[in-house]
Amino acid sequence: MRTVYLLALLMTLTSLAPAQDNPDALLPKRLELESLARVGSVMVDGDVCQKIVTPLAKEYMFKVDPRDEYLAGDNYDVDDVSFNITKKTLIRLSHLTSFPSDVNLWMPIDGHPGKIQIVVRNKNEMSQFWHWGDIYQDMIPPMETVLKTGQRVTVMDRPGWVSVLAPVYNSLGDIVGLIEAVSRTKMDPHDNVK
Amino acid sequence: MRRFHRQVLFLFLLLLSGKCLAAATLEALPEFLRPDPFGGIVTPDQGGVKLRSSLYDARHRVVLRGWRGGYVSFQLVVKSTVPGAYSLEVSLDDPAHKIQTDLFREWFHFTDSDKHYYPDALVPVHSPYGSHLPEPDNKIDQQTAQAFWVDVYIPTDAKPGVLSGKARLKFGGKSVAVPVQLTVLDRAIPAEDVVTVDHNSYGISFLSEQYGTAYHNYSGNWFESDQLFRLIHDYHQIFYEHRGIYHQLGYGHSGKVGPEFAPVLAGSGRNKHIADWTLFDRHYGPLFDGTAFASSRRGPRPIPFVYLPINPEWPASYELWGEPGYEAEFVNVLSEMESHFREKGWTHTNFEVFFNHKKRYMGFPWDGDEVRFPKDINYFLEYGRLLKKAVPADSPVHFVMRADVSWDMEQEFKLLKGVVTVWCCSGGILSFYRDAPKTLGDRGDVVWYYGGPPSVTENAAAITEYPLRAWLWGVNGYVHWLTVAPGNDPWFHFDGGGTALVYSGDRFGLTAPIPSIRLKIQRNCLQDLAVLDSFKTQQSLDSLRSEAAHRFNKSALDDWWNPRPTLADIPSDQWQGSAIDAAMEHTNKGLAHPGVSAWYNVHEYALQLAGGAK
Repeated sequence: MRTVYLLALLMTLTSLAPAQDNPDALLPKRLELESLARVGSVMVDGDVCQKIVTPLAKEYMFKVDPRDEYLAGDNYDVDDVSFNITKKTLIRLSHLTSFPSDVNLWMPIDGHPGKIQIVVRNKNEMSQFWHWGDIYQDMIPPMETVLKTGQRVTVMDRPGWVSVLAPVYNSLGDIVGLIEAVSRTKMDPHDNVK
Repeated sequence: MRRFHRQVLFLFLLLLSGKCLAAATLEALPEFLRPDPFGGIVTPDQGGVKLRSSLYDARHRVVLRGWRGGYVSFQLVVKSTVPGAYSLEVSLDDPAHKIQTDLFREWFHFTDSDKHYYPDALVPVHSPYGSHLPEPDNKIDQQTAQAFWVDVYIPTDAKPGVLSGKARLKFGGKSVAVPVQLTVLDRAIPAEDVVTVDHNSYGISFLSEQYGTAYHNYSGNWFESDQLFRLIHDYHQIFYEHRGIYHQLGYGHSGKVGPEFAPVLAGSGRNKHIADWTLFDRHYGPLFDGTAFASSRRGPRPIPFVYLPINPEWPASYELWGEPGYEAEFVNVLSEMESHFREKGWTHTNFEVFFNHKKRYMGFPWDGDEVRFPKDINYFLEYGRLLKKAVPADSPVHFVMRADVSWDMEQEFKLLKGVVTVWCCSGGILSFYRDAPKTLGDRGDVVWYYGGPPSVTENAAAITEYPLRAWLWGVNGYVHWLTVAPGNDPWFHFDGGGTALVYSGDRFGLTAPIPSIRLKIQRNCLQDLAVLDSFKTQQSLDSLRSEAAHRFNKSALDDWWNPRPTLADIPSDQWQGSAIDAAMEHTNKGLAHPGVSAWYNVHEYALQLAGGAK
């Protein structure tokens, strides 16, 4: 009885606080995203994901030429068949939530431990981690955890945002990437329209 | 003793007033000599100091000559070594009250890169204008000069002839005047430009950032307010008034569409349809029927081009790509758009199906912007097929496919013939293909090339090179890739304005953009080009172009093209950026930056042809 009372009190206080700043306001979304991410781990084909980024793109990803500041970007290429198969799956996964969400694909980069790249993004332009325009970036600890342990990890570092990270497996059983199922308390219809 | 003090005080005041009178001056400068706040000329323009005398006649009158249907411009500089209040008035004795004079206070931006001040933003003020030197809000220590830009507008129905006027400065109880003489020339500037200069922008977030006062004071959803749509229309209007056009892209690299840029969709598959046009029509209706420009001196006119929100994720969901449902969604919605536009009579605008995304932003697996990998061209062909299916062949609504091209442009010109009809080309790479403008023009395509505005740290004439190049090349236009982003603090820590030609008026109590000196100079250049081109009925266009190029920087027409490089014959996905730079060596060497007087010389040539030269 006391637990129920405390829970009710907590829920009342939660409802009074500004939703944007209150992590508990994200609880329903978090639960749905965790469920989505669990399904995503099963549905996303890691073998297909491994074919997306082309050898040419990988070759140039870390090259630097002071005379050509866009060298990496200009040589970024993907296998469109693998990309499309994966993207379609990610979009369908996002339909599992009752609110707008995105499911992004992230993959580590062979030969560059500590680095990771976003490989597929989606139409709401949401990610808690992507640095706009970066082809690769530093691995963050929660992603490292997912890649090493296969555990799902929920991240709510940015106020009003929730991301659930879940592993992606290939046919050998290796973890080859992760998905980020993401949403936020208040959608911004203009963010990243650029 | 007291009497002695009074005498001393009287003498002191007498001396002070005399000093004020001696110190306060009013100087007129031509448009290409930008003043600094300390009485000098900014360093990049100092090479053109000989132009100073070009503005005056033997009687030291400011002499202006202008065609009807356009502007003539000059600058006024109030100088005083002692602080004080002043007023400035500019007037022209025009019995017919046709001539209109616009006065702007020039803002001196402190640029972080070289620690100097440059005037650029133009704050509209009314004549007579009263203020104080140093100018309080510009906050410049030891400021001794305040500059003003004067635009004199001569309407097409003004009577040719000579008008007199003056600029008068009152400072410290005294006044000085500079006489002005305006000659209205008989010729009228053609209303249509020979070079379309486009000013590009992305999204709408920049408006809430740059107009914080309006945004924060609005009680409802500002993004659905009349104020927002008026502001958008003001951006179109300021560029239109300066003989340019404005583009605002309404979607992101993953296909997210801003709600103001697209009708609301509902349903999916064969049931996908447009559910609500409200915001779209409020945004675009006045632009497509021209009423947004009712107050413009150029008159109401529908905008000639607009980006549609179409991208791989809109109106069809990318989830369905390659399936019958994708085709159904795309064709249904585009057909509805065509019907809506036709019913509204929006038949004077080119509605652009334009793909801006790049695969490096991870939204889609092909480059819509600047195709580098030839396989990506197949996506354009597919969208061309879908567009053809959606829009009736005899529709009076002009749907066009536009492609922004660089690496692979030569292949795309061939493979996308009849599919893409508006080309926005990398200027550097287009310079390899001298025949392309004619080939594309002959089949009715529109060809623009793109680049960015010059920084204020370049000389004042630098901006004229872009429209001139378009005219010399025989292409239809030039695109400034970004023109509304002056940085976080353009007023005191300026980045140079390489992505801005207008500024927010928010700081000055205006919920509207304000122009820049560079935009004014560009407009005046476009006027001259329209006049020059109009002489092609009397002499060959090539000879006009040759002479203009020679006057500009002593170049020949050949200097504006590069020889076809060997890399043009290898697949574009094997090109390297540094090799492209090397292939442009000929133009880079031959067309060193023009001098400050470059455009003045071309203007004089146009005047000479029109019989209005000094």
